[in-house]
Amino acid sequence: MSLLEIEGLDLAIHGTPILKDVSMQLEAGRILGIIGESGSGKSMTALTVMQLLPEGAEARGAVNLSGHDMLALPERKLCALRGSEVGMVFQEPMTALNPIQPIGRQVAETILVHEDVSRAEAMARARAALDRCELPEAQFPMSRYPHELSGGQRQRVVIAMAIALRPKLLIADEPTTALDVTTQAEVLRLLKRLVQEDGMGLMLITHDLAVVSDMADEIVIMREGEIVEAGPCPGIFSTMSHPYSLGLLEASDHQPERAAAAGEAPLLQVRDVVRDYPLPRRALWGERAHFRAVDGVSFEIRRGESLGLVGESGCGKSTLTRAILGLEAVQGGEILLGGAPVFSGKRPNRAVRRKMQVVFQDPYGSFNPRWKVGPLVAEPFHLLDTPPYGAERDAAISEALESVGLAAGDAEKYIHEFSGGQRQRIAIARALIIKPELIILDEAVSALDVSIRAQILDLLADLGARFGLTYLFISHDLSVVRNVTDRCLVMKSGRIVEAGGTAQVFDAPRHDYTKELIAAVPQLP
Amino acid sequence: MRASRNLWLGGLLTAVFSLAAVISFAWVPYDVTKLDIGAKLLSPSWAHPLGTDHFGRDILSMIMVGARTSIAVAIVAVGIGMALGVPLGLAAAARKGSLLDEVIMRGNDLIFAFPSLLIAIMITAVFGASAVNAIIAIGIFNIPVFARLVRGAALSLWTRDFVLAARVSGKGPVRISAEHILPNVTNLLIVQGTIQFSLGILAEAALSYVGLGAQPPLPSWGRMLADAQTMFSFKPHLAIFPGLAILLTVLGLNLMGDGLRDLLDPRLRRAQR
Repeated sequence: MSLLEIEGLDLAIHGTPILKDVSMQLEAGRILGIIGESGSGKSMTALTVMQLLPEGAEARGAVNLSGHDMLALPERKLCALRGSEVGMVFQEPMTALNPIQPIGRQVAETILVHEDVSRAEAMARARAALDRCELPEAQFPMSRYPHELSGGQRQRVVIAMAIALRPKLLIADEPTTALDVTTQAEVLRLLKRLVQEDGMGLMLITHDLAVVSDMADEIVIMREGEIVEAGPCPGIFSTMSHPYSLGLLEASDHQPERAAAAGEAPLLQVRDVVRDYPLPRRALWGERAHFRAVDGVSFEIRRGESLGLVGESGCGKSTLTRAILGLEAVQGGEILLGGAPVFSGKRPNRAVRRKMQVVFQDPYGSFNPRWKVGPLVAEPFHLLDTPPYGAERDAAISEALESVGLAAGDAEKYIHEFSGGQRQRIAIARALIIKPELIILDEAVSALDVSIRAQILDLLADLGARFGLTYLFISHDLSVVRNVTDRCLVMKSGRIVEAGGTAQVFDAPRHDYTKELIAAVPQLP
Repeated sequence: MRASRNLWLGGLLTAVFSLAAVISFAWVPYDVTKLDIGAKLLSPSWAHPLGTDHFGRDILSMIMVGARTSIAVAIVAVGIGMALGVPLGLAAAARKGSLLDEVIMRGNDLIFAFPSLLIAIMITAVFGASAVNAIIAIGIFNIPVFARLVRGAALSLWTRDFVLAARVSGKGPVRISAEHILPNVTNLLIVQGTIQFSLGILAEAALSYVGLGAQPPLPSWGRMLADAQTMFSFKPHLAIFPGLAILLTVLGLNLMGDGLRDLLDPRLRRAQR
């Protein structure tokens, strides 16, 4: 008998069907990858196994976990099973940990809840769990608080909590989505090792085909609550037949058609830029220390070119973006757009600023929820000396919305009526409305589902050709940068460590850090 | 968005007293400035539903006119607090960490450091007891409440991408505060405003009770209580009715504030679902 057996599972929440006839099996010591985009029901499947469903949920079918009928067990028995038989790892390691408790206590807590042991013994076992998750005592004493750890280290603490009682099944819901590529590779390696050592089953839920393809023994592809394809990995990649899975496969390595890079004239010139942040004073009259976020960065973008800037969180790429946008003054060097400085004296230069716009990562945070789409899209008009008004303004809004594939009538709607992908289109429309020359894409597709991401990349390529746009593509996602840029820069600790043609950087990286980054990217077979 | 039972009950109580105050402008059962010694200290009857006081004035009429005083004082006091506190809070958040921020917030701390009712008593004692001085005294203590609330909420809004997008569009801090920050803190202001409103009514009653609020012959709930004090043992209705008026108004406003918070705070809304 399998460790986990789901047979003909139907789930409805307040009468709305969420899952339809879902069946899957997982053996001990194996890894089951569940792939799907948002709304596919992949997380709901996991929550059904844990019986942590929201109110009003009604499940039918059979969910059998090592002999327990999970749908029939009373809540008290389920509580005993959660944590001891099934462990769970979530996407966001910061919110999964209690910020005011030291990590040792949080791991020990799971043990104390389930077993009648002394606190000292629980702490000893918590220590052992942390050690197994590669958080050695010397660097990571149990008295550390979550905020003192990096994202990847926090995720290890969450994993330690989940495996402290050696559960038979571990459910990991997008465990590496919030992490950098190199950290992602480490966490995935850790999960794989724990599965082998403990012989537990791992249910790995993700939207990223490449992540599972390296890891999983079996793969299930879900869409709108149904399983569209399932099979052993990596065999499934050659036998895939459902149009949705094929589309997904294509989208995760999507290469938009782009015209070759244009002219030689530089549009943006960044020369020896230095950006310091003051740190808090250590003593009342002490010298103020500084943190150098951007350290002597120089590069150029040619007109019509698409330049990638790659780096992990904390490397200074966001700081550099703000400096280029003229939002913050730099402490050294200069930034020129079309030959004119972005920041002249103490005031940002409006004439230069109106030649560039930006698209941010989070499609949910980049719009004021109290405004309608029309005024939101028209906001950059503020940069013009004589902004259009009346019918002319409405026409410009309609044109911008239509150029990104939305309807002119959408201007009258509020932002919450749109999906993530549509919002990102609105963000692009907002950037386009004043006809800029340079658009900075700050992780603009990182938060999107793969198929939506492919559409947005196509849209950007199309707009680039139509309006002669120049893109600065900032991302931690190397596969995207590889497919859409002509040249790319690799940034680490405030410095550019490698620059060159995209193909050259990816195929023959020179700097050790670049090599490490590229090796860490999960590959599709 | 479903209005809770709290909101309905609170809204109903508030509406009843607001209505009484509005009606009192046009009509009251008896003139509250005319004394009728012959009808003094009557118990509740059909002619005087809530009885009469030691000057023979009708208690119902006095409560209606008193509602007017209480509500007017509280509205203007909350208005002063919002009109000054909100811009101060917005300015402090827009220039976080600057000298301006320090001056504003330390000024707030200074006001907070004083016991509010004692200072209100001091202000009215120095500048004379009147409804206007009571309003100013209560209003001053509303300023830091709103300034802090707005600064806290605005600080987290300033880190949002839509504010960054507005900055990329070349908008300055004043414009961003007015167009992006303020509309997103109105929910908080409505809720806090309701709660400050009920505190204002309590403060006005307290000042009038010690004779520093609205002056005779203008009736006020606080002074009605003070007048009733000596006769409480044999004519309890003199104290019970104005006391109930204060209690129910404050209760109504607090329930309404809670209900509005449940309705308007998106975080709570999600948690309830």
